[in-house]
Amino acid sequence: MARSVRGGSRLDSGLLIACVVLSVLALVIKGDVRDRVSATLRTTVLAPLVALESRSAAIRATVTSRQDVLNTRGELAVRALSVQAVMDENTALRRLVGLGARLRDGFVVAELLPTRGTNDDFTIALNVGTGVGVAPYSAVVSADGLVGMVRTVDANTSYAITWASPEFAVSAMSVDESAFGIVKPHLGTGADRWLLELRGVPFRAKVDSGTLIVSAGLGATYPRGIPIGTVLSELTTPEKWARTYLLRPAVLPKALGPVIVLLPPRSARGVNGVWTTVTSADSAAKGVATAGDSLARSAALDELAARRAALDSTGADSLARDTTVLRRPVTRADSVRADSIRRARAAAADTGRPRPTGPPPAAAPRVGPPPPGDER
Amino acid sequence: MRAPQTQSGVGSAVRALIGFALLVAAHFGIRPLFGSRVMVDFLVIAALFAAVRMRPGLAALLGFALGLSADALAPGSFGAATLALTVISFAASWLKAVFFANHIALTGLFIFLGKWCFDAIYVLLGGGVRGVDLVVQLLLWTPLAAALTAVVAVLLLTIFRPLYRSQAA
Repeated sequence: MARSVRGGSRLDSGLLIACVVLSVLALVIKGDVRDRVSATLRTTVLAPLVALESRSAAIRATVTSRQDVLNTRGELAVRALSVQAVMDENTALRRLVGLGARLRDGFVVAELLPTRGTNDDFTIALNVGTGVGVAPYSAVVSADGLVGMVRTVDANTSYAITWASPEFAVSAMSVDESAFGIVKPHLGTGADRWLLELRGVPFRAKVDSGTLIVSAGLGATYPRGIPIGTVLSELTTPEKWARTYLLRPAVLPKALGPVIVLLPPRSARGVNGVWTTVTSADSAAKGVATAGDSLARSAALDELAARRAALDSTGADSLARDTTVLRRPVTRADSVRADSIRRARAAAADTGRPRPTGPPPAAAPRVGPPPPGDER
Repeated sequence: MRAPQTQSGVGSAVRALIGFALLVAAHFGIRPLFGSRVMVDFLVIAALFAAVRMRPGLAALLGFALGLSADALAPGSFGAATLALTVISFAASWLKAVFFANHIALTGLFIFLGKWCFDAIYVLLGGGVRGVDLVVQLLLWTPLAAALTAVVAVLLLTIFRPLYRSQAA
């Protein structure tokens, strides 16, 4: 029994010594031999364990790369937002370049200067001044339409009021020239403060929603045909003789970037065809006057028919009555006196003078654009 | 009367073999999933759990084989893990009467010391770490890894008791 235990101990000691010697030998052998031994082990008995370890490492790499993918996706989303902002800016600049190409000459491009704590939402500072020809009352425009008007000018800077300023006003018309009025800011509260009003539109001039409103060119500041806004709806006002429309501005304050200042000579030449193509102011005014005359004439003829019916009932001379009515359209039927025949004959004999047509001017409704003095 | 004891011994050996295989597989299959500096050493647990069931010589031989498999995947320190596992396996088998008295806390301490000794031998013989890094490794990272390994070993011993219960117990 004791011999067996001693033999076992000797065997244990022998195995330990052998293992230790082999381990030390593994530590001190040269690199190439070590590599060959380890490679042999990896490709034979340890191959399944190596494959298992590789698969686990691949799973971990997948999980890690998944996190990297999520991080990368987030970074790309942030970059995409900035790319979109750059694209928007490029689009605005391209449109401004296109506007400059249509204007050809007589303008300067201005950058907006940062506000200096003036807390004025309706004034913009521009980096151009008298050095490049900017003068007070020069129109400030963008590719979308009218921005405002230069108010004060220094040598290298200028300050302009925007359409949102309470001092802003521009004579305007619908793009089809069917309605004229004055555009002023809508002095509402909240978001409505950033809308415009088209005031003083004759009552008969109905403007549909979505109609483009452009500058009418009356006055020396804003040339004809610059988009101002589009009609949103009609406003109810105490004025029963004129209509007021709510407009959505063509130039939104948030989208305001580089602008163009129209120099006075360019404004004097007009900008017809740059934003819109409209006929001249004279022809527009004539069209409006003609339309007003025809309406007045129609009303007079209706009244004439009524008078004729009344006079027929009195049994008087029809020829004399007709002639009288044509000369005095506003005369009431019950005022016809007995000597009307004599006066009618005397008037009929006076054929050498031109005969006025239509109602007297006082009876005609107010038509055409507002007086130029109303524009600032 | 000897037949039931023989069957019981065979069953215990089979269970021990399965437990040993699972630990080796965990070392190569689960350990790579975690990239932490403090990691569980399933090979040390497998070597120590198996060593207490064997004679010291066989335990040394088992430690040698396990160390060689570990070194084959880390040729830069070839032989260090082999020598370390050989020594701690032999020591564990020789000291099994002291430490493996079916006491969970002592078993955890046993695993902790075994892992610490293994890392100490491995780091010192491997030669990859020197100076302050060696001190930090031996006094900070190695104890942390040893503690984690001991905790996992105790959990395994508690949860999978039929597989890892020592024959003496």
